[in-house]
Amino acid sequence: MNKVKRTWQINGEEHQTEIPPVRRFLDVLREDLGLKGTKEGCGEGECGACTVIVNGEAVLSCMLPAGQVPENAEVTTVEGLEKTPGGRLLQAAYAEKGAAQCGFCIPGMIVSSYAMLSRDPSADPARIREAHAGNICRCTGYEKIVEAIQSAAEQWPAGTKG
Amino acid sequence: MVMAVKELGTLHSVGKGIPRLDADEKVRGLAQYADDLNVPGAWYGFVVRSPVAHGRLRGLKKDPGFDWSQVVVVTPEDIPGNNIVDLMGRDMPFIAHDVIQYLGEPVALVAAASRHLARVAGSHIRADIEELPPLLTLQDMVARYKEDPAQLHELASQTIRKGDTEKALSEADMVVEQEYSAGHQEQLYIEPQGMVAIPESDGTMFIHGSMQCPYYINPELCETLDIPPEKLRVKQSAVGGAFGGKEEFPTLLAGYCALLALKAKRPIKIIYDRNQDILYTTKRHPSWSRYRVGVMKDGTIHAIQTEFLLDGGAYTTLSPVVMYRGILHAAMGYRCENVAIDGHVYRTNTFPNGAFRGFGAPQALWAWESMIDELAEACGMTPHEFRLKNCLHQGDSTPTGGILRDSVGSPTVLEKTLERANFSEKLKQCSHGRRGEKKWYGIGLSFFAHGSGFTGDGEARIKAKVALDLEPGDDGKPVVNVRVSSTEMGQGTCTILPQVAADALSIDIRHTAYPMPDTFKVPDSGPTVASRTAMVVGSTIFSAGKKMKAELEAFVSAELFDGQPVVLEQDRFCGSYGDKEMSFEEAAAQYLSRKGSLRVYDQFKLPEFIKWNQKTFEGDAYPAYAWGCNVAELEVDTLTFEIRVTRVTSYWDIGRLLNPVLAKGQVEGGLVQALGYAMLEKIEIKNGKYDADRMQTYVIPTTLDIPEMDLHFVEFPYEHAQPGAKGVGEIPMDGLAPAIANALVQATGIRMRDLPITPEKLFQMMHEEKTA
Amino acid sequence: MAGWNERVTDLSIASTMTFDDVACAFPASLQEALELMADEKTRGRLLAGGTDLMVQWESGVLAMPERAVSVKALPELRTIEETEADVIIGASVTHMDIRRSPLTQKHVPSLVDAAATIGGFQIQTMGTIGGSVANASPAGDLAPSLMITDGAVVLASVRGEREVPITAFWTGYRKTDMQPDELIVRFRLPKMPEGYREAWRKLGPRQAQAISKVMGSCRGCVEGGVVKSFRVAIGSVAPTCVRLYDVEKWIEGKKLNEGTLAEAEKRTSDSITPIADIRSTAEYRKWVTGRIVRGFLEQFADQ
Repeated sequence: MNKVKRTWQINGEEHQTEIPPVRRFLDVLREDLGLKGTKEGCGEGECGACTVIVNGEAVLSCMLPAGQVPENAEVTTVEGLEKTPGGRLLQAAYAEKGAAQCGFCIPGMIVSSYAMLSRDPSADPARIREAHAGNICRCTGYEKIVEAIQSAAEQWPAGTKG
Repeated sequence: MVMAVKELGTLHSVGKGIPRLDADEKVRGLAQYADDLNVPGAWYGFVVRSPVAHGRLRGLKKDPGFDWSQVVVVTPEDIPGNNIVDLMGRDMPFIAHDVIQYLGEPVALVAAASRHLARVAGSHIRADIEELPPLLTLQDMVARYKEDPAQLHELASQTIRKGDTEKALSEADMVVEQEYSAGHQEQLYIEPQGMVAIPESDGTMFIHGSMQCPYYINPELCETLDIPPEKLRVKQSAVGGAFGGKEEFPTLLAGYCALLALKAKRPIKIIYDRNQDILYTTKRHPSWSRYRVGVMKDGTIHAIQTEFLLDGGAYTTLSPVVMYRGILHAAMGYRCENVAIDGHVYRTNTFPNGAFRGFGAPQALWAWESMIDELAEACGMTPHEFRLKNCLHQGDSTPTGGILRDSVGSPTVLEKTLERANFSEKLKQCSHGRRGEKKWYGIGLSFFAHGSGFTGDGEARIKAKVALDLEPGDDGKPVVNVRVSSTEMGQGTCTILPQVAADALSIDIRHTAYPMPDTFKVPDSGPTVASRTAMVVGSTIFSAGKKMKAELEAFVSAELFDGQPVVLEQDRFCGSYGDKEMSFEEAAAQYLSRKGSLRVYDQFKLPEFIKWNQKTFEGDAYPAYAWGCNVAELEVDTLTFEIRVTRVTSYWDIGRLLNPVLAKGQVEGGLVQALGYAMLEKIEIKNGKYDADRMQTYVIPTTLDIPEMDLHFVEFPYEHAQPGAKGVGEIPMDGLAPAIANALVQATGIRMRDLPITPEKLFQMMHEEKTA
Repeated sequence: MAGWNERVTDLSIASTMTFDDVACAFPASLQEALELMADEKTRGRLLAGGTDLMVQWESGVLAMPERAVSVKALPELRTIEETEADVIIGASVTHMDIRRSPLTQKHVPSLVDAAATIGGFQIQTMGTIGGSVANASPAGDLAPSLMITDGAVVLASVRGEREVPITAFWTGYRKTDMQPDELIVRFRLPKMPEGYREAWRKLGPRQAQAISKVMGSCRGCVEGGVVKSFRVAIGSVAPTCVRLYDVEKWIEGKKLNEGTLAEAEKRTSDSITPIADIRSTAEYRKWVTGRIVRGFLEQFADQ
């Protein structure tokens, strides 16, 4: 059989899988593991709705062959954010500032925010914009998203990964 | 239902930036969009399409080498009812059976257990088509129109006449003539179209998916499926953006799913991928406008004559109404007693164009607000002097002879924007293409109104119906459920309507809820379009809330407070003798246990004095108008001609602000879509196909493309529909493109009359000017 | 594989294979990878970050292969190092790694600037320098900055290693000098000499997530207003990224003034024959390439 075995820590839980190696990681998350929070907006790496974090880096699950997600990788999807202080902070800020409208880009957007702030809890709007240029939103004009991230950055728990 | 402002009572929810009621599920990734719905046993549908844009279908050939036992195929013979999509014109079939009118027109439907197998099966069906010459582009359409309109297939036309325009043009000191055009714009909601059809054992067809208007699909599908409306249940899933793109199109997708479901006898799911979504769904109509405007030396507009053409695509669909809104805005905003407007929609062999935020107004205003600057220049006036001289005031008459009776944000929004942007001073600093500068600076203005609610007699015909249900919520506590067909698609319906209901009842918003619309549970409050939800549906909810309040007060008085008069205020029932008080929650629970749930209905009525003639287009085209003014500032890099909009200053009168945070979000998002329309978004037709068919080639603004936005509201509440909103959904889309074009003239001296505005066009026009 | 229906109207119909059907090897070492590639029976399509290939497979632009060999995780390919003269970048180093490394920031700054304009952060953390170069797109964002270093691509196979000058690596539209059993292991990029500068410019339809209309890099040195050295490469105007040798030769030794700048601009535009596509017109590309080169020289002159 054309399958590889991988064990991953997804949102803090261990998942053992056996998957076709070039199956899109997005399909593994949504269809095989039932984690439907992650969205597909374009299927070609342009919109960022499928963004997840693998070992600390934001990646696009629609163009990531699942077999390339390393053994024992730590994976964070939108469903995992509420398990972390930083994630909860971001969720509250997104809700309060009106950063979500239709909400379809939000799982990818807020995961990008979490990846960025975990590495660089900067409230500088220029850096926030650059770190989110790979996440397309058609509703908000991005203003309230940037506001929300700034607000979360200002309260980001110091010295933690969030 | 008409109440004076003073009866509004104190507002505790309306006017506050209450966070969206669906924010929590959206930020946690829990909202269920169409592709997230768990539908056991569902097969996947696929649409087999015509590979040519125009032709005569001779038949279908199925590859005999393919194993057809594993799939279901639907062709026109399988349709139980009429093979007609019941939109305006009734000229579009669900599945083509004779003439092919556009590339990608459905010729068969296929379903299989996997998405992949359905696609593969589809590729083994070949349409045998005798090709006919297609008409594909706006440019070709306009060329034929100029030569002889009789060569074109007209899908709709309408005129507006006021005064004697020909005579007035001959009297004018100057007549300025100009043409403008704009191309397709794709809605590009981030969630692609998706739908599920589930055939139920009692013969009900259950449609569940991404849509704006559940009561379009029912009844539009009934004729095709040959079932009565009560056997067609339509429910909205979470919608990942729509912008008009999920107004009329979902009927097609629901039809494909339902037809396959009938034959396969199992649920069918179709989720478009992005490529299909861009190629085979509606877009903003390409448009062409020609103006002849007579002005007097003192800068008065004396006569406006204009033609407004839309490229309708292959079938009529909603194009007539889009054109109506276009012509109603094509000379709006300024005083003029002599107006002649001719609107036409012609067929081309492309996917039918359709609803998109603004619905014809952005196309019309792109031309008209560019023209206003050209008129100002012809009169030797600045853009703002000319607008201030001619703009409509309260009591003035619109191009259709309607009177602006009240709630008129003009000229206030214009004056305030000019002041805030320091327009007159900055206008003097513009570069006008001066040599030797690294950057050219320009500033430009636009001023516009957007008709609130349906065009013409629409609201009078549809009579929006709403209900409020007092019933036990999921936690057993009493909740007031807002029952409307008005949908949440990102714009905030799920929050503003509960805000209005809460204030009508004088209860806390936590006692209200907005369940997803389901035609088995909600009355028809009309489609979620035309910036009508806040004004029309909101005001009907408000009056329904007042009714429910009276009913509950009567109950508490009679059954709990010994007959003394009772008032419900700020979540508490208070007896007028001062000795009895009860919380809303407790009293409502008493009501539920003694009398069961309570449903209150109401229906929207236009004020009596609103008069409209749908044939002659005379009278009050809209009950009210929202007003907006944009000032755009931009820089041109003289090395490369790259154009960057650096700042947008704007004021808006959208009536009463129901929720300032959500309203601002609408304006910001709308302006960014308008920025895309103005500068980035384009689809051309190469070798008969759209050249931009993916998100890599159809580009929209990113976080790094956004100008600084300085946005403000002034409130002129609409007094005849409490609490007085006038709608904010569409107006942000209306005016940015002409403001940018007007700024570009001040920066470079070049006037661009075709959208989008690009460095390539600027280079070409600069080059032509130099060689001329 | 479109086969029976010749005129499919959906890009995505084109293949009857799915991602699930593609086999993939995950060699643990470079040696193992080379051995897999040496044998026709085990050889597969080299897969690095996937940011180009996964899209091309999904859309049907490229047929899905039976077999892939993933080189993304090979430890030998993931380092950035230096020698006295060169920066050595492993083929599986990501665009984000290039942005973050002090070595690249110091010695090949325009490569860092170019990496920062690729896609968004997510593409930058996934895509690799080797994958980008092997993809051989004329719009590959790293190409001009690599070309102006006069560096080399190091290819390896079981037969050994060989160096190909970057300027000779792309042999045509989406064509390279690679043999079927070879893979890119690293790039050897001569450091920017003392007193030299680099510059990068990309024109795209928007400010991020854009495929370029035109882009270019240069490395050079201007002293006392006189061009001592100038190397310039331009992408998206020809079937491959191109070095403008004639312009370089002409401007070297010249004093920068309006006359020489205008002539350099004209010579640049005259030296290329770009095409029109969805992103831009041939005329604009031709003109603006000259303008970009002029801008580079002006920038250097300002110093």
